[in-house]
Amino acid sequence: MNPAAPSGLMPADSASGATLHTIVAVMSFLACLTLGAVLTLSRLASEWTEGLSGSVTVQLLPSPQISPEDQLNEALRLVRQWPGIFSAKALSRGEASKLLEPWLGEGNVLDDLPVPQLIEVTLTPGQPVELAGLGRALADGVPGAQLDDHQRWNQELASFAASSEAVGWAVLALIAVATLAIVIYATQAGLQAHREIVEVVHMIGARDVFIATEFQRHFLWLGLRGGLIGLTLAAITLLGSSFFWDSREAPVGAQYLPQLVTSPFHYIWLLFVPAAIAGIAMATARMTVLRVLGRMP
Amino acid sequence: MVRFENVGMRYGLGPEILRDVSFTLEPGSFHLLTGPSGAGKTSLLKLIYLAERPSRGAIWMFDREIAATPREELPPLRRRIGVVFQDFRLLDHLTVFDNVALPRRVMGEFEGDYRAEVEELLSWVGLGNRLNAKPATLSGGEKQRVAIARAVVAKPELLLADEPTGNVDPEIGARIMRLFIELNRLGTSVLIATHDQRIMERVPAMRIFKLTEGRLTSANANEIAIAGAKRA
Ligand SMILES: Nc1ncnc2c1ncn2[C@@H]1O[C@H](COP(=O)(O)OP(=O)(O)OP(=O)(O)O)[C@@H](O)[C@H]1O
Ligand SMILES: [Mg+2]
Repeated sequence: MNPAAPSGLMPADSASGATLHTIVAVMSFLACLTLGAVLTLSRLASEWTEGLSGSVTVQLLPSPQISPEDQLNEALRLVRQWPGIFSAKALSRGEASKLLEPWLGEGNVLDDLPVPQLIEVTLTPGQPVELAGLGRALADGVPGAQLDDHQRWNQELASFAASSEAVGWAVLALIAVATLAIVIYATQAGLQAHREIVEVVHMIGARDVFIATEFQRHFLWLGLRGGLIGLTLAAITLLGSSFFWDSREAPVGAQYLPQLVTSPFHYIWLLFVPAAIAGIAMATARMTVLRVLGRMP
Repeated sequence: MVRFENVGMRYGLGPEILRDVSFTLEPGSFHLLTGPSGAGKTSLLKLIYLAERPSRGAIWMFDREIAATPREELPPLRRRIGVVFQDFRLLDHLTVFDNVALPRRVMGEFEGDYRAEVEELLSWVGLGNRLNAKPATLSGGEKQRVAIARAVVAKPELLLADEPTGNVDPEIGARIMRLFIELNRLGTSVLIATHDQRIMERVPAMRIFKLTEGRLTSANANEIAIAGAKRA
Protein backbone atom coordinates (compact mmCIF):
# COMPACT_ATOMS: atom_id res chain seq x y z
CA MET A 1 0.00 0.00 0.00
CA ASN A 2 0.94 3.66 0.24
CA PRO A 3 1.34 4.24 -3.46
CA ALA A 4 3.76 6.93 -4.49
CA ALA A 5 0.92 9.04 -5.90
CA PRO A 6 -1.67 9.83 -3.25
CA SER A 7 -4.93 8.04 -3.77
CA GLY A 8 -7.83 10.12 -4.98
CA LEU A 9 -10.11 11.76 -2.48
CA MET A 10 -12.95 9.73 -3.90
CA PRO A 11 -13.53 6.08 -3.03
CA ALA A 12 -12.30 4.04 -5.99
CA ASP A 13 -14.94 1.36 -5.63
CA SER A 14 -18.21 1.57 -3.86
CA ALA A 15 -21.62 0.02 -4.19
CA SER A 16 -22.97 3.23 -5.69
CA GLY A 17 -20.00 3.22 -8.07
CA ALA A 18 -20.92 -0.20 -9.46
CA THR A 19 -24.55 0.84 -9.92
CA LEU A 20 -23.46 4.03 -11.63
CA HIS A 21 -21.17 2.14 -14.00
CA THR A 22 -23.99 -0.23 -14.93
CA ILE A 23 -26.48 2.56 -15.58
CA VAL A 24 -24.01 4.55 -17.63
CA ALA A 25 -22.94 1.46 -19.62
CA VAL A 26 -26.55 0.51 -20.45
CA MET A 27 -27.44 4.03 -21.58
CA SER A 28 -24.28 4.18 -23.66
CA PHE A 29 -25.11 0.81 -25.23
CA LEU A 30 -28.61 1.95 -26.21
CA ALA A 31 -27.38 5.28 -27.52
CA CYS A 32 -24.63 3.59 -29.60
CA LEU A 33 -27.06 1.06 -31.12
CA THR A 34 -29.54 3.76 -32.04
CA LEU A 35 -26.86 6.03 -33.43
CA GLY A 36 -25.47 3.13 -35.50
CA ALA A 37 -28.91 2.38 -36.91
CA VAL A 38 -29.66 6.01 -37.66
CA LEU A 39 -26.33 6.54 -39.42
CA THR A 40 -26.93 3.49 -41.60
CA LEU A 41 -30.46 4.52 -42.46
CA SER A 42 -29.32 8.00 -43.28
CA ARG A 43 -26.63 6.68 -45.63
CA LEU A 44 -29.01 4.24 -47.32
CA ALA A 45 -31.70 6.86 -47.72
CA SER A 46 -29.36 9.23 -49.48
CA GLU A 47 -27.91 6.48 -51.68
CA TRP A 48 -31.30 5.21 -52.69
CA THR A 49 -32.64 8.69 -53.24
CA GLU A 50 -29.79 9.53 -55.58
CA GLY A 51 -30.20 6.20 -57.38
CA LEU A 52 -26.59 5.37 -56.63
CA SER A 53 -27.39 1.80 -55.84
CA GLY A 54 -24.45 0.73 -57.92
CA SER A 55 -26.01 -1.11 -60.80
CA VAL A 56 -28.66 -0.97 -63.50
CA THR A 57 -29.84 -3.59 -65.97
CA VAL A 58 -30.33 -3.46 -69.72
CA GLN A 59 -32.99 -5.81 -71.10
CA LEU A 60 -32.84 -6.83 -74.72
CA LEU A 61 -36.19 -8.04 -76.03
CA PRO A 62 -36.11 -10.07 -79.22
CA SER A 63 -36.71 -7.72 -82.15
CA PRO A 64 -37.37 -8.54 -85.83
CA GLN A 65 -35.31 -5.51 -86.85
CA ILE A 66 -32.00 -6.81 -85.55
CA SER A 67 -30.25 -10.08 -84.92
CA PRO A 68 -29.67 -11.02 -81.26
CA GLU A 69 -25.87 -10.90 -81.72
CA ASP A 70 -25.88 -7.42 -83.26
CA GLN A 71 -28.37 -6.24 -80.67
CA LEU A 72 -26.10 -7.39 -77.79
CA ASN A 73 -22.91 -5.98 -79.33
CA GLU A 74 -24.51 -2.66 -80.18
CA ALA A 75 -25.99 -2.29 -76.69
CA LEU A 76 -22.68 -3.22 -74.97
CA ARG A 77 -20.79 -0.73 -77.14
CA LEU A 78 -23.26 2.06 -76.33
CA VAL A 79 -23.28 1.38 -72.62
CA ARG A 80 -19.52 1.00 -72.25
CA GLN A 81 -18.73 4.36 -73.84
CA TRP A 82 -21.26 6.17 -71.62
CA PRO A 83 -19.63 8.39 -68.96
CA GLY A 84 -19.72 7.01 -65.41
CA ILE A 85 -20.14 3.37 -66.37
CA PHE A 86 -17.68 1.09 -64.63
CA SER A 87 -18.40 -2.13 -66.46
CA ALA A 88 -21.06 -3.86 -68.51
CA LYS A 89 -21.39 -7.60 -68.78
CA ALA A 90 -23.83 -9.74 -70.69
CA LEU A 91 -25.40 -12.42 -68.57
CA SER A 92 -25.06 -15.84 -70.16
CA ARG A 93 -28.10 -18.05 -70.44
CA GLY A 94 -26.70 -20.17 -67.65
CA GLU A 95 -26.40 -17.19 -65.30
CA ALA A 96 -29.86 -15.98 -66.25
CA SER A 97 -31.41 -19.34 -65.55
CA LYS A 98 -29.61 -19.47 -62.19
CA LEU A 99 -31.11 -16.10 -61.31
CA LEU A 100 -34.56 -17.31 -62.25
CA GLU A 101 -34.21 -20.76 -60.71
CA PRO A 102 -35.99 -19.86 -57.45
CA TRP A 103 -39.03 -18.80 -59.44
CA LEU A 104 -39.02 -21.18 -62.40
CA GLY A 105 -37.34 -24.23 -60.95
CA GLU A 106 -34.48 -26.24 -62.39
CA GLY A 107 -34.41 -27.46 -65.93
CA ASN A 108 -34.00 -26.07 -69.38
CA VAL A 109 -36.99 -23.82 -69.09
CA LEU A 110 -35.19 -20.86 -70.61
CA ASP A 111 -34.50 -22.73 -73.80
CA ASP A 112 -38.22 -22.85 -74.45
CA LEU A 113 -39.03 -19.32 -73.33
CA PRO A 114 -38.37 -16.02 -75.09
CA VAL A 115 -36.49 -14.70 -72.10
CA PRO A 116 -34.82 -11.34 -72.69
CA GLN A 117 -31.06 -11.13 -72.86
CA LEU A 118 -29.78 -9.17 -69.82
CA ILE A 119 -26.77 -6.88 -69.47
CA GLU A 120 -25.59 -6.10 -65.97
CA VAL A 121 -24.18 -2.60 -65.80
CA THR A 122 -22.06 -1.51 -62.85
CA LEU A 123 -21.78 2.22 -62.19
CA THR A 124 -18.57 3.88 -61.15
CA PRO A 125 -19.01 4.51 -57.42
CA GLY A 126 -19.39 8.11 -56.39
CA GLN A 127 -19.79 9.42 -59.94
CA PRO A 128 -23.09 10.84 -61.17
CA VAL A 129 -24.44 9.10 -64.25
CA GLU A 130 -26.94 10.52 -66.71
CA LEU A 131 -29.14 7.45 -66.59
CA ALA A 132 -32.15 9.05 -68.28
CA GLY A 133 -29.96 9.99 -71.24
CA LEU A 134 -28.53 6.50 -71.41
CA GLY A 135 -32.06 5.08 -71.43
CA ARG A 136 -33.08 7.31 -74.34
CA ALA A 137 -29.89 6.54 -76.28
CA LEU A 138 -30.49 2.82 -75.87
CA ALA A 139 -34.14 3.03 -76.88
CA ASP A 140 -33.25 5.11 -79.93
CA GLY A 141 -30.08 3.28 -80.96
CA VAL A 142 -30.81 -0.38 -80.31
CA PRO A 143 -34.18 -1.87 -81.23
CA GLY A 144 -35.71 -3.80 -78.34
CA ALA A 145 -33.31 -2.40 -75.71
CA GLN A 146 -34.67 -1.08 -72.44
CA LEU A 147 -32.87 0.38 -69.46
CA ASP A 148 -34.15 -0.65 -66.06
CA ASP A 149 -32.63 1.69 -63.49
CA HIS A 150 -34.53 0.07 -60.63
CA GLN A 151 -36.08 3.49 -60.14
CA ARG A 152 -39.38 2.31 -58.71
CA TRP A 153 -37.72 -0.08 -56.31
CA ASN A 154 -35.20 2.56 -55.30
CA GLN A 155 -37.86 5.17 -54.70
CA GLU A 156 -39.81 2.88 -52.44
CA LEU A 157 -36.69 1.92 -50.55
CA ALA A 158 -35.67 5.54 -50.30
CA SER A 159 -38.95 6.69 -48.85
CA PHE A 160 -38.95 3.73 -46.47
CA ALA A 161 -35.43 4.55 -45.39
CA ALA A 162 -36.23 8.23 -45.03
CA SER A 163 -39.21 7.60 -42.77
CA SER A 164 -37.26 5.03 -40.75
CA GLU A 165 -34.48 7.52 -40.47
CA ALA A 166 -36.86 10.15 -39.10
CA VAL A 167 -38.15 7.65 -36.54
CA GLY A 168 -34.54 6.75 -35.73
CA TRP A 169 -33.58 10.36 -35.07
CA ALA A 170 -36.62 10.75 -32.83
CA VAL A 171 -35.65 7.62 -30.87
CA LEU A 172 -32.06 8.84 -30.70
CA ALA A 173 -33.24 12.20 -29.36
CA LEU A 174 -35.34 10.44 -26.71
CA ILE A 175 -32.45 8.22 -25.71
CA ALA A 176 -30.15 11.23 -25.57
CA VAL A 177 -32.57 13.06 -23.28
CA ALA A 178 -33.04 9.96 -21.10
CA THR A 179 -29.27 9.41 -20.98
CA LEU A 180 -28.73 13.02 -20.02
CA ALA A 181 -31.35 12.84 -17.27
CA ILE A 182 -30.12 9.50 -15.93
CA VAL A 183 -26.46 10.47 -16.00
CA ILE A 184 -27.25 13.74 -14.21
CA TYR A 185 -29.45 11.98 -11.69
CA ALA A 186 -26.93 9.20 -11.09
CA THR A 187 -24.09 11.67 -10.73
CA GLN A 188 -26.03 13.68 -8.19
CA ALA A 189 -26.97 10.53 -6.29
CA GLY A 190 -23.31 9.52 -6.30
CA LEU A 191 -22.37 12.92 -4.96
CA GLN A 192 -24.98 12.69 -2.23
CA ALA A 193 -23.24 9.52 -1.05
CA HIS A 194 -20.00 11.50 -0.89
CA ARG A 195 -21.38 14.57 0.81
CA GLU A 196 -19.38 13.85 3.95
CA ILE A 197 -16.19 14.05 1.89
CA VAL A 198 -17.20 17.41 0.47
CA GLU A 199 -18.00 18.80 3.91
CA VAL A 200 -14.89 17.55 5.68
CA VAL A 201 -12.51 18.62 2.94
CA HIS A 202 -14.25 21.99 2.82
CA MET A 203 -13.86 22.53 6.57
CA ILE A 204 -10.22 21.53 6.45
CA GLY A 205 -9.68 24.53 4.19
CA ALA A 206 -9.88 23.22 0.65
CA ARG A 207 -10.88 25.67 -2.03
CA ASP A 208 -14.05 24.96 -3.99
CA VAL A 209 -12.15 24.36 -7.22
CA PHE A 210 -9.89 21.81 -5.50
CA ILE A 211 -12.91 19.80 -4.39
CA ALA A 212 -14.73 20.27 -7.70
CA THR A 213 -11.65 19.11 -9.61
CA GLU A 214 -11.37 15.92 -7.53
CA PHE A 215 -15.02 15.11 -8.10
CA GLN A 216 -15.16 15.97 -11.77
CA ARG A 217 -12.09 13.81 -12.43
CA HIS A 218 -13.74 10.92 -10.63
CA PHE A 219 -16.95 11.25 -12.61
CA LEU A 220 -15.15 11.85 -15.90
CA TRP A 221 -13.45 8.47 -15.53
CA LEU A 222 -16.63 6.85 -14.34
CA GLY A 223 -18.53 8.18 -17.36
CA LEU A 224 -15.74 7.24 -19.73
CA ARG A 225 -15.44 3.68 -18.39
CA GLY A 226 -19.19 3.09 -18.39
CA GLY A 227 -19.54 4.71 -21.80
CA LEU A 228 -16.77 2.60 -23.34
CA ILE A 229 -18.22 -0.60 -21.89
CA GLY A 230 -21.54 0.30 -23.53
CA LEU A 231 -19.82 1.16 -26.80
CA THR A 232 -17.90 -2.13 -26.80
CA LEU A 233 -21.08 -4.13 -26.22
CA ALA A 234 -22.84 -2.16 -28.95
CA ALA A 235 -19.95 -2.70 -31.38
CA ILE A 236 -20.02 -6.44 -30.68
CA THR A 237 -23.76 -6.46 -31.29
CA LEU A 238 -23.47 -4.54 -34.56
CA LEU A 239 -20.53 -6.58 -35.84
CA GLY A 240 -22.22 -9.78 -34.76
CA SER A 241 -25.35 -8.87 -36.66
CA SER A 242 -23.40 -8.23 -39.87
CA PHE A 243 -21.55 -11.54 -39.52
CA PHE A 244 -24.87 -13.23 -39.01
CA TRP A 245 -26.20 -11.67 -42.18
CA ASP A 246 -23.12 -12.71 -44.11
CA SER A 247 -23.24 -16.27 -42.89
CA ARG A 248 -25.06 -19.18 -44.44
CA GLU A 249 -27.49 -19.60 -41.57
CA ALA A 250 -28.96 -16.21 -42.34
CA PRO A 251 -32.45 -16.27 -43.80
CA VAL A 252 -32.76 -16.28 -47.61
CA GLY A 253 -32.31 -12.81 -48.97
CA ALA A 254 -30.71 -11.47 -45.81
CA GLN A 255 -27.54 -10.75 -47.75
CA TYR A 256 -29.43 -8.06 -49.64
CA LEU A 257 -30.26 -6.26 -46.39
CA PRO A 258 -27.99 -3.43 -45.42
CA GLN A 259 -25.45 -4.13 -42.73
CA LEU A 260 -26.05 -2.01 -39.70
CA VAL A 261 -22.62 -0.49 -39.67
CA THR A 262 -20.59 -0.85 -42.80
CA SER A 263 -17.68 1.50 -42.54
CA PRO A 264 -15.05 2.16 -39.87
CA PHE A 265 -16.12 5.78 -40.21
CA HIS A 266 -19.32 4.84 -38.41
CA TYR A 267 -17.38 3.60 -35.42
CA ILE A 268 -15.69 6.96 -35.14
CA TRP A 269 -19.10 8.56 -34.78
CA LEU A 270 -20.01 6.00 -32.12
CA LEU A 271 -16.95 7.07 -30.09
CA PHE A 272 -18.77 10.35 -29.68
CA VAL A 273 -21.29 8.64 -27.35
CA PRO A 274 -18.96 7.70 -24.44
CA ALA A 275 -17.16 11.02 -24.86
CA ALA A 276 -20.44 12.91 -24.54
CA ILE A 277 -21.54 10.81 -21.56
CA ALA A 278 -18.24 11.38 -19.79
CA GLY A 279 -18.48 15.09 -20.52
CA ILE A 280 -22.03 15.26 -19.15
CA ALA A 281 -21.08 13.34 -15.99
CA MET A 282 -18.08 15.58 -15.46
CA ALA A 283 -19.99 18.83 -15.97
CA THR A 284 -22.83 17.63 -13.73
CA ALA A 285 -20.42 16.67 -10.97
CA ARG A 286 -18.69 20.01 -11.17
CA MET A 287 -21.88 22.05 -11.13
CA THR A 288 -23.45 19.99 -8.35
CA VAL A 289 -20.37 20.16 -6.12
CA LEU A 290 -20.02 23.88 -6.65
CA ARG A 291 -23.71 24.38 -5.86
CA VAL A 292 -23.47 22.28 -2.67
CA LEU A 293 -20.34 24.15 -1.64
CA GLY A 294 -21.94 27.49 -2.45
CA ARG A 295 -24.51 26.84 0.26
CA MET A 296 -21.76 26.37 2.85
CA PRO A 297 -20.20 29.45 4.45
CA MET B 1 -6.80 36.20 17.17
CA VAL B 2 -10.52 35.43 17.71
CA ARG B 3 -13.01 38.00 18.86
CA PHE B 4 -16.77 37.59 19.24
CA GLU B 5 -18.99 40.58 19.83
CA ASN B 6 -22.61 40.04 20.85
CA VAL B 7 -22.86 36.99 18.64
CA GLY B 8 -26.19 35.23 18.32
CA MET B 9 -26.80 32.07 16.40
CA ARG B 10 -29.72 29.92 15.36
CA TYR B 11 -30.11 26.93 13.04
CA GLY B 12 -32.51 27.90 10.27
CA LEU B 13 -35.64 29.30 11.84
CA GLY B 14 -35.09 27.45 15.11
CA PRO B 15 -34.57 29.02 18.51
CA GLU B 16 -31.47 31.02 19.27
CA ILE B 17 -28.78 28.56 20.43
CA LEU B 18 -26.22 31.23 21.33
CA ARG B 19 -27.09 34.62 22.75
CA ASP B 20 -24.93 37.72 23.16
CA VAL B 21 -21.71 35.78 23.18
CA SER B 22 -18.66 38.01 23.54
CA PHE B 23 -15.11 36.86 24.22
CA THR B 24 -11.56 37.15 22.96
CA LEU B 25 -8.89 34.50 22.38
CA GLU B 26 -5.38 35.91 22.47
CA PRO B 27 -2.53 34.32 20.56
CA GLY B 28 -0.85 31.64 22.62
CA SER B 29 -3.74 31.31 25.07
CA PHE B 30 -5.25 28.11 26.45
CA HIS B 31 -8.98 27.98 27.15
CA LEU B 32 -11.55 25.44 28.16
CA LEU B 33 -15.19 25.59 27.17
CA THR B 34 -17.61 23.76 29.42
CA GLY B 35 -21.32 23.57 29.88
CA PRO B 36 -24.08 21.01 29.97
CA SER B 37 -24.87 18.86 26.98
CA GLY B 38 -26.86 20.82 24.41
CA ALA B 39 -25.64 24.15 25.76
CA GLY B 40 -24.13 25.05 22.39
CA LYS B 41 -20.43 24.23 22.76
CA THR B 42 -20.16 22.52 19.38
CA SER B 43 -22.18 25.32 17.79
CA LEU B 44 -19.79 27.91 19.16
CA LEU B 45 -16.80 25.98 17.78
CA LYS B 46 -18.55 25.76 14.38
CA LEU B 47 -18.73 29.53 14.30
CA ILE B 48 -15.01 29.72 15.01
CA TYR B 49 -14.00 27.22 12.35
CA LEU B 50 -16.29 29.00 9.90
CA ALA B 51 -18.72 26.16 9.30
CA GLU B 52 -21.72 28.25 10.36
CA ARG B 53 -22.59 31.92 10.10
CA PRO B 54 -23.80 33.92 13.08
CA SER B 55 -27.33 35.27 12.88
CA ARG B 56 -26.19 38.48 14.54
CA GLY B 57 -23.15 40.09 16.07
CA ALA B 58 -19.63 40.26 14.66
CA ILE B 59 -16.78 37.76 14.53
CA TRP B 60 -13.14 38.63 13.91
CA MET B 61 -10.77 35.84 12.94
CA PHE B 62 -7.09 36.66 12.51
CA ASP B 63 -8.03 40.34 12.31
CA ARG B 64 -10.59 39.80 9.55
CA GLU B 65 -14.24 40.58 10.13
CA ILE B 66 -15.85 37.43 8.78
CA ALA B 67 -19.10 38.91 7.47
CA ALA B 68 -17.06 41.37 5.40
CA THR B 69 -14.65 38.73 4.09
CA PRO B 70 -15.36 37.36 0.60
CA ARG B 71 -16.13 33.65 0.57
CA GLU B 72 -13.08 32.75 -1.48
CA GLU B 73 -10.79 34.25 1.16
CA LEU B 74 -12.10 31.96 3.89
CA PRO B 75 -10.17 28.74 2.99
CA PRO B 76 -6.78 30.27 3.86
CA LEU B 77 -8.25 31.28 7.25
CA ARG B 78 -9.59 27.74 7.83
CA ARG B 79 -6.13 26.33 7.16
CA ARG B 80 -4.80 28.26 10.13
CA ILE B 81 -7.25 26.39 12.39
CA GLY B 82 -7.02 22.71 13.36
CA VAL B 83 -10.26 21.04 14.44
CA VAL B 84 -10.87 17.81 16.35
CA PHE B 85 -14.53 17.13 15.62
CA GLN B 86 -16.70 15.63 18.33
CA ASP B 87 -17.70 12.86 15.90
CA PHE B 88 -14.19 12.71 14.39
CA ARG B 89 -15.38 12.99 10.77
CA LEU B 90 -12.68 10.75 9.36
CA LEU B 91 -13.06 9.72 5.71
CA ASP B 92 -13.84 6.01 5.78
CA HIS B 93 -12.34 5.12 2.40
CA LEU B 94 -8.96 6.66 3.16
CA THR B 95 -6.26 5.01 5.26
CA VAL B 96 -5.20 6.43 8.60
CA PHE B 97 -2.16 7.90 6.89
CA ASP B 98 -4.20 9.58 4.13
CA ASN B 99 -6.73 10.93 6.63
CA VAL B 100 -4.02 12.59 8.67
CA ALA B 101 -2.25 13.86 5.55
CA LEU B 102 -5.44 15.40 4.14
CA PRO B 103 -4.88 18.98 5.40
CA ARG B 104 -1.40 18.99 3.89
CA ARG B 105 -2.70 17.70 0.58
CA VAL B 106 -5.43 20.31 0.55
CA MET B 107 -2.69 22.93 0.92
CA GLY B 108 -1.14 21.60 -2.27
CA GLU B 109 1.78 19.75 -0.70
CA PHE B 110 3.06 16.47 -2.11
CA GLU B 111 3.52 13.24 -0.22
CA GLY B 112 7.28 13.68 -0.08
CA ASP B 113 6.79 16.93 1.85
CA TYR B 114 4.78 15.47 4.69
CA ARG B 115 5.32 11.69 4.72
CA ALA B 116 7.91 11.64 7.52
CA GLU B 117 6.02 14.16 9.67
CA VAL B 118 2.74 12.29 9.39
CA GLU B 119 4.40 9.01 10.30
CA GLU B 120 6.15 10.57 13.26
CA LEU B 121 2.96 12.18 14.48
CA LEU B 122 1.07 8.90 14.19
CA SER B 123 3.64 6.98 16.14
CA TRP B 124 3.55 9.73 18.74
CA VAL B 125 -0.19 9.12 19.28
CA GLY B 126 0.50 5.37 19.39
CA LEU B 127 -0.75 4.48 15.91
CA GLY B 128 2.59 4.00 14.20
CA ASN B 129 1.65 0.47 13.22
CA ARG B 130 -1.82 1.32 11.89
CA LEU B 131 -0.83 3.64 9.04
CA ASN B 132 -2.70 1.65 6.42
CA ALA B 133 -5.74 0.74 8.47
CA LYS B 134 -9.14 2.08 7.47
CA PRO B 135 -11.01 4.07 10.15
CA ALA B 136 -13.79 1.47 10.26
CA THR B 137 -11.34 -1.02 11.77
CA LEU B 138 -10.25 1.31 14.58
CA SER B 139 -11.61 1.58 18.12
CA GLY B 140 -13.27 4.81 19.23
CA GLY B 141 -10.15 5.94 21.06
CA GLU B 142 -7.94 5.16 18.06
CA LYS B 143 -10.23 7.17 15.78
CA GLN B 144 -10.02 10.01 18.23
CA ARG B 145 -6.24 9.97 18.09
CA VAL B 146 -6.33 9.95 14.27
CA ALA B 147 -8.66 12.95 14.40
CA ILE B 148 -6.26 14.73 16.75
CA ALA B 149 -3.28 13.96 14.51
CA ARG B 150 -5.17 15.36 11.51
CA ALA B 151 -6.00 18.52 13.45
CA VAL B 152 -2.40 19.29 14.34
CA VAL B 153 -0.56 18.00 11.27
CA ALA B 154 -0.55 21.39 9.54
CA LYS B 155 0.72 23.21 12.65
CA PRO B 156 -2.35 25.40 13.08
CA GLU B 157 -2.23 28.72 14.89
CA LEU B 158 -5.48 27.86 16.61
CA LEU B 159 -6.50 24.38 17.74
CA LEU B 160 -10.14 23.62 18.49
CA ALA B 161 -10.96 20.30 20.12
CA ASP B 162 -14.50 19.09 20.82
CA GLU B 163 -14.46 16.51 23.63
CA PRO B 164 -11.00 15.24 22.63
CA THR B 165 -10.71 12.92 25.61
CA GLY B 166 -14.23 11.58 25.52
CA ASN B 167 -13.37 8.12 24.25
CA VAL B 168 -9.95 7.41 25.66
CA ASP B 169 -8.66 5.93 28.87
CA PRO B 170 -7.09 8.27 31.46
CA GLU B 171 -3.57 7.44 30.38
CA ILE B 172 -4.15 8.31 26.71
CA GLY B 173 -6.23 11.28 27.82
CA ALA B 174 -3.31 12.60 29.84
CA ARG B 175 -1.04 12.05 26.88
CA ILE B 176 -3.36 13.96 24.56
CA MET B 177 -3.49 16.80 27.04
CA ARG B 178 0.31 16.84 27.20
CA LEU B 179 0.34 17.13 23.40
CA PHE B 180 -2.04 20.09 23.54
CA ILE B 181 -0.03 21.78 26.28
CA GLU B 182 3.16 21.21 24.30
CA LEU B 183 1.59 22.71 21.16
CA ASN B 184 0.41 25.63 23.25
CA ARG B 185 3.96 26.19 24.51
CA LEU B 186 5.12 26.27 20.91
CA GLY B 187 2.65 29.10 20.25
CA THR B 188 -0.63 27.51 19.23
CA SER B 189 -3.76 28.88 20.85
CA VAL B 190 -5.93 26.09 22.17
CA LEU B 191 -9.65 25.94 22.90
CA ILE B 192 -11.05 22.68 24.22
CA ALA B 193 -14.74 21.98 24.72
CA THR B 194 -15.11 19.34 27.38
CA HIS B 195 -17.05 17.91 30.28
CA ASP B 196 -14.01 16.09 31.52
CA GLN B 197 -13.34 17.21 35.11
CA ARG B 198 -9.85 15.71 35.01
CA ILE B 199 -8.87 18.02 32.17
CA MET B 200 -10.06 21.04 34.09
CA GLU B 201 -7.89 20.11 37.02
CA ARG B 202 -4.86 19.41 34.91
CA VAL B 203 -4.76 22.40 32.62
CA PRO B 204 -2.96 25.63 33.39
CA ALA B 205 -5.85 27.42 31.75
CA MET B 206 -6.09 31.05 32.53
CA ARG B 207 -9.75 30.97 31.80
CA ILE B 208 -12.63 28.60 31.59
CA PHE B 209 -15.61 29.61 29.50
CA LYS B 210 -18.91 28.24 30.65
CA LEU B 211 -21.93 28.05 28.39
CA THR B 212 -25.35 27.87 29.98
CA GLU B 213 -28.51 28.22 27.92
CA GLY B 214 -26.61 29.90 25.13
CA ARG B 215 -24.91 32.51 27.32
CA LEU B 216 -21.19 32.58 27.91
CA THR B 217 -19.65 33.34 31.27
CA SER B 218 -16.05 32.99 32.20
CA ALA B 219 -14.54 31.85 35.44
CA ASN B 220 -11.15 30.70 36.53
CA ALA B 221 -10.21 27.12 37.15
CA ASN B 222 -10.37 27.33 40.91
CA GLU B 223 -13.98 28.48 41.01
CA ILE B 224 -15.07 25.64 38.75
CA ALA B 225 -13.15 23.11 40.80
CA ILE B 226 -14.75 24.41 43.97
CA ALA B 227 -18.19 24.36 42.38
CA GLY B 228 -17.57 20.79 41.23
CA ALA B 229 -16.42 19.80 44.70
CA LYS B 230 -19.52 21.32 46.28
CA ARG B 231 -21.81 19.43 43.88
CA ALA B 232 -20.06 16.15 44.55
N1 LIG C 1 -27.44 21.11 12.70
C1 LIG C 1 -28.33 21.47 13.65
N2 LIG C 1 -29.57 21.84 13.29
C2 LIG C 1 -30.47 22.22 14.22
N3 LIG C 1 -30.22 22.25 15.53
C3 LIG C 1 -29.00 21.89 15.96
C4 LIG C 1 -27.99 21.47 15.03
N4 LIG C 1 -26.88 21.17 15.73
C5 LIG C 1 -27.18 21.37 17.04
N5 LIG C 1 -28.44 21.80 17.17
C6 LIG C 1 -29.08 22.16 18.43
O1 LIG C 1 -28.33 23.18 19.02
C7 LIG C 1 -28.23 23.00 20.42
C8 LIG C 1 -26.79 23.02 20.84
O2 LIG C 1 -26.13 21.93 20.27
P1 LIG C 1 -24.58 21.71 20.39
O3 LIG C 1 -24.20 20.53 19.58
O4 LIG C 1 -23.89 22.98 20.10
O5 LIG C 1 -24.45 21.37 21.95
P2 LIG C 1 -23.19 20.90 22.76
O6 LIG C 1 -23.00 21.88 23.85
O7 LIG C 1 -22.03 20.67 21.87
O8 LIG C 1 -23.67 19.52 23.38
P3 LIG C 1 -22.81 18.20 23.70
O9 LIG C 1 -22.07 18.47 24.98
O10 LIG C 1 -23.83 17.15 23.90
O11 LIG C 1 -21.92 17.95 22.55
C9 LIG C 1 -28.92 21.69 20.74
O12 LIG C 1 -30.18 21.99 21.27
C10 LIG C 1 -29.05 21.00 19.40
O13 LIG C 1 -30.27 20.31 19.36
MG1 LIG D 1 -20.99 19.07 21.25
